[in-house]
Amino acid sequence: MGAVLAIAINTFRETIRNKILYTIILFVLIVLISGNYLANISMHNEDRIIMDIGLGMLSLFGVFLTVFTGINIIFKEIDKKTIYLVLSKPLNRTGFILGKLFGLLLAVYTVVVIMFAILMAQSLLMQIAYPVNLVKGFILILFEILIVLSIAIFFSSFTTPFITGMLTVGIIMVGRLLPDLHQIIRVKYVPGFWRETALSLTQIFPNLYIFVPNGHDFNGQYLSLTSDFITWNYISWTFLYTVFYSSIILVLASTILKNRDLV
Amino acid sequence: MKHSEVPLKIINISKTFKTGFLNLKRVKAVCDLSFTMKKGEIFGLLGPNGAGKTTTLKILTGLIFPDQGQIEEFGYPANSVKARSHIGFLPENPYFYEYLTAREFLNMCADIFNLPKKEKLEKIDYLLNKLSIAEAADRPLRKFSKGMLQRTGLAQALINDPDLIILDEPLSGLDPIGRRDFREIITNLRKQGKTVLFSSHILSDVEEICDRAAIIARGKLQEIGTIAKLLSKGVKETEIEIEATKAQLSQLQKKWKIFTNNTTLSGYRINLPPNIPLQKFIKDLVAATITIKSIKPHKESLENLFLNFNMSTDQNSPTGLQNNKQSSPTGLQNNKQNSPTGLQKNKDKEIE
Ligand SMILES: Nc1ncnc2c1ncn2[C@@H]1O[C@H](COP(=O)(O)OP(=O)(O)OP(=O)(O)O)[C@@H](O)[C@H]1O
Ligand SMILES: [Mg+2]
Repeated sequence: MGAVLAIAINTFRETIRNKILYTIILFVLIVLISGNYLANISMHNEDRIIMDIGLGMLSLFGVFLTVFTGINIIFKEIDKKTIYLVLSKPLNRTGFILGKLFGLLLAVYTVVVIMFAILMAQSLLMQIAYPVNLVKGFILILFEILIVLSIAIFFSSFTTPFITGMLTVGIIMVGRLLPDLHQIIRVKYVPGFWRETALSLTQIFPNLYIFVPNGHDFNGQYLSLTSDFITWNYISWTFLYTVFYSSIILVLASTILKNRDLV
Repeated sequence: MKHSEVPLKIINISKTFKTGFLNLKRVKAVCDLSFTMKKGEIFGLLGPNGAGKTTTLKILTGLIFPDQGQIEEFGYPANSVKARSHIGFLPENPYFYEYLTAREFLNMCADIFNLPKKEKLEKIDYLLNKLSIAEAADRPLRKFSKGMLQRTGLAQALINDPDLIILDEPLSGLDPIGRRDFREIITNLRKQGKTVLFSSHILSDVEEICDRAAIIARGKLQEIGTIAKLLSKGVKETEIEIEATKAQLSQLQKKWKIFTNNTTLSGYRINLPPNIPLQKFIKDLVAATITIKSIKPHKESLENLFLNFNMSTDQNSPTGLQNNKQSSPTGLQNNKQNSPTGLQKNKDKEIE
């Protein structure tokens, strides 16, 4: 466990010492604050929507940051051969992947927590009545980041940052639109083999929509990150889903890395 | 598996890399390699560029997997965590996390080995001093020179007080002081009962500090043994510079079956193989009134032995190796030019 922690700390350091990170954070902060301010003056009392926009932006930023830092995560270690110094020591490759995961997760979480604190401060200033819902929405964002990071690690364990980036972003887009995709399949295909096949094919994609619900449900009820339907029950359920999906992906990633020659 | 005293036992390992378009090309990097190391010895792995040294060492440290064969390190398989906890490894031209300082890096390495805090801090300070990088310890590795990185690399290889130390070209990139320091550290390790395996293509280093050595070329083991044994196989030549006419030279060549095309300003240079008695040859020269400019006995060294294998890295000539092996121990450098029958199918390139 000490070895995994050592890798995690190192990965955290690497991410935090990356100067590009600060440029991005600064940029996002400006957008976040000014965007919220604009929404505030244009849409009057729709507090809920304002907070939705804030959380939505935070979620997009979190995912972006995860992809940006995650695409390189394993690849760079092999490419730059730093992995030789680590894996020739008593640490197995699964431990290495876990260390990388925890370290980067901690770094990304640190950044988004700081941003969320800013959002919370804003909401308190505006005396918005949903701070608990805000926290719940934020927890969902943290879950999504974990899944996205696992996917990035998976691809990064055998392919280049560019391909990892493309594939990860593709999966995120499909994952977020999964309910729409299901809808399309139901309309397009008559019930039968092809419809079932198409539906089961979508099962391999993570259902990211559950972390950032937006739009309406079948009863015409407005769904949002700060909606009342996000109960602690809902959160526990998404948590299980997150752990389940990430574990599978990480097991695959570690299987790939375990069977790879590090050349 | 039980802990064993034998630091390293390699049994018939082979490794073929797939490269090129669709991985269709095959490169045989290591081929049926076996050897065993004894506790407390310094063992040199010698071989020309591309011989398979780095590949072998990477297999030993579990970074790549052999296609075939078995490796036991203190009785544990090479890719086991248990084996690696007894090993220190310095890769070829080590690459580092550039954003870390040397101290942070060594700290991380120690943490991977789960060293207790007090021991860890002491060890880091000790190694930083020992390798003369203490002053730069808190600078990021990005700003380290090549030699300083090599020193950091050796420091991390020793952080766990390993029983088997595997070093891939440890002396490359070092200045003379660094080379001396490293040699001293390596020989001190032996005094502590540690076992050291290091690769090199610099023969004098191996000659100087190794107890035993293996020579590999094209992934195959060519020779193995004590330095003394290898040296006895080394070709001991005598270089003779003479002033002679072309006719005189060809007469000599015919009689002694030697070959030279080394012309000097005033004559020729002959490399006399050890199987020709020097006394008789010189007598012959005197009899023929050939002026002898100089006689230089070549220092007995691994150099010649090594060069002979070096030639055989010619990938296109699978038979080249065997031809070579036959010709090299005798030191007779057969060549089409001096083979009147023309039957010699030796494809050897001459060593000039
Ligand atoms: N990743 C790889 N893919 C394909 N071929 C490889 C790979 N690594 C090594 N080789 C080939 O394997 C052979 C042995 O290489 P290796 O690096 O082990 O040699 P070496 O003895 O360490 O040489 P040097 O003295 O130059 O360091 C070479 O022919 C090399 O081209
Ligand atoms: Mg090498």
